[in-house]
Amino acid sequence: MAQKTGGQLEETALIRAAQGGDSAAFEQLVRAYDQSVLRLAMNLLRSPEDAQDVYQEAFLRVYKNLDKFRFDCSFHTWLYRIVTNLCLDHMRKRKVRKEEPTIVATAEGPIDRMDAVPEERVDGDPQRFLFSGELRKRVKEVLAELTPRERMVFELRHYQGLRLRRIGEVLGTTEEAAKNCLFRATQKMRAALGDFI
Amino acid sequence: MSGELNNCAAVKDFFALYLYGELSFDEEERVESHLDKCVDCRKALERQREVQVALDNIAIEPSPALLRSCREELHMRLAEESQSGSKHGFWERFTDMLTGRSAGSGWLKPAGALTLVALGFGVARLVPPGAFGSGGPFEMGMVEPASRVRYVEPASDGKVQIVLDETRQRIVSGGLNDQKIRVLLLSAAKDPSDPGLRAETVEILNGSAQSSDVRDALAFALLHDQNAGVRLKAMEGLKPFAQQPEVRAAMTQVLLTDSNPGLRTQAIDLLTKGLNQDSPSMSYDRQVIGAMQELMQRENNAYVRQRCKTALEAVKASTETY
Repeated sequence: MAQKTGGQLEETALIRAAQGGDSAAFEQLVRAYDQSVLRLAMNLLRSPEDAQDVYQEAFLRVYKNLDKFRFDCSFHTWLYRIVTNLCLDHMRKRKVRKEEPTIVATAEGPIDRMDAVPEERVDGDPQRFLFSGELRKRVKEVLAELTPRERMVFELRHYQGLRLRRIGEVLGTTEEAAKNCLFRATQKMRAALGDFI
Repeated sequence: MSGELNNCAAVKDFFALYLYGELSFDEEERVESHLDKCVDCRKALERQREVQVALDNIAIEPSPALLRSCREELHMRLAEESQSGSKHGFWERFTDMLTGRSAGSGWLKPAGALTLVALGFGVARLVPPGAFGSGGPFEMGMVEPASRVRYVEPASDGKVQIVLDETRQRIVSGGLNDQKIRVLLLSAAKDPSDPGLRAETVEILNGSAQSSDVRDALAFALLHDQNAGVRLKAMEGLKPFAQQPEVRAAMTQVLLTDSNPGLRTQAIDLLTKGLNQDSPSMSYDRQVIGAMQELMQRENNAYVRQRCKTALEAVKASTETY
């Protein structure tokens, strides 16, 4: 939680160096954020190929436009604006979102993201085991039901840990609008998971 | 969202935002005052919390191989971008230097190659010299003194396989108790460039946490790893040793400094495990109580704050600091 000031100063220096043509500084910037960019794209699009496309396009845009970055917002916010716009475009282009499989191909072979819920949490209790399996199924269905914007806000808040104020900045909207969007997403989840809540 | 929260359905609508710590002061106050008098909603909140935890665990972590592939492709595309002439940026100068494309820069070609070699050595984390002497249990023979651990993988026979980057990759295998394997694993657990490798290594080390050197490595990962997934795995390995003073010290530090609310919650649970309601004051040490009181003052997450408050009240400790 600490070290923000030092880290931000270091990042500012890196950006200025990269703007001045320092390739090592640019590479450090990429490496500071590329894992979380890839994770966001992978979780939203559930396709390594699409995630890789977003990764490439996002950092190419950063490269081409870095000289226009004027420190009006944090680099993280600027980068995430690019990435979330690309992801939203991908999600909107998918006409058959509801039939989207949760099974994704990875370097380790095909996996179902819903199967990633660890069964050990149920402590061997058969009733709890059923609870966990049913819960996974319902979560799978409700995630597919969310609109791209709801899905985006939910991913940014739940998995990326961004506060609503920052999400508003990234998506070019207000904190209140982001809150309403998250509220709708969680209400849909509550409706779908009614037996559990 | 500012209506009266005087019925259970309305309160339940706010549970998710409440757990995210995203309600306004007034909204949170209304939810908590309802929870104070409604047992059903308190139970429902617990179930919502379980759903949140289940959601935590369906996230996909991109594989290190995918990340490497992305980086390599980006490198190539940036080089192409600069060659297209649209931008005479640093990338063009950098790739020109490596390929010797610049006019009159024939001498730069070996210099560029030398740079790559130097970068390779610079990036590689060196395994401590002497980690591998002659002999030993390795099926593939000796390991070079300057090697980088690329992958670790548990094998079915209880041993572990380690892939090293030297001038080429090699596979070595051995038991977890083998000192040379242990040195490689402890080193891989701190590899700054590859969180996937660190996570896998920490998971393997968790099986040997009865050794103090392994516990030290797990505590280091718990306190210093940038990746929350790696820290969670290290926490798992240290759980059975939560009564050891050095482990308690690490968990107390997690309580106050870790950015992940899940880890802070687990730290509270482990530090307060074994609570004896009849003689509660004996179940905590002063440092832990002090840390939890400090946490009460700075914690932003409503759920963590509530857990901390409950734990302090259970031992009749004040939730304030003096």
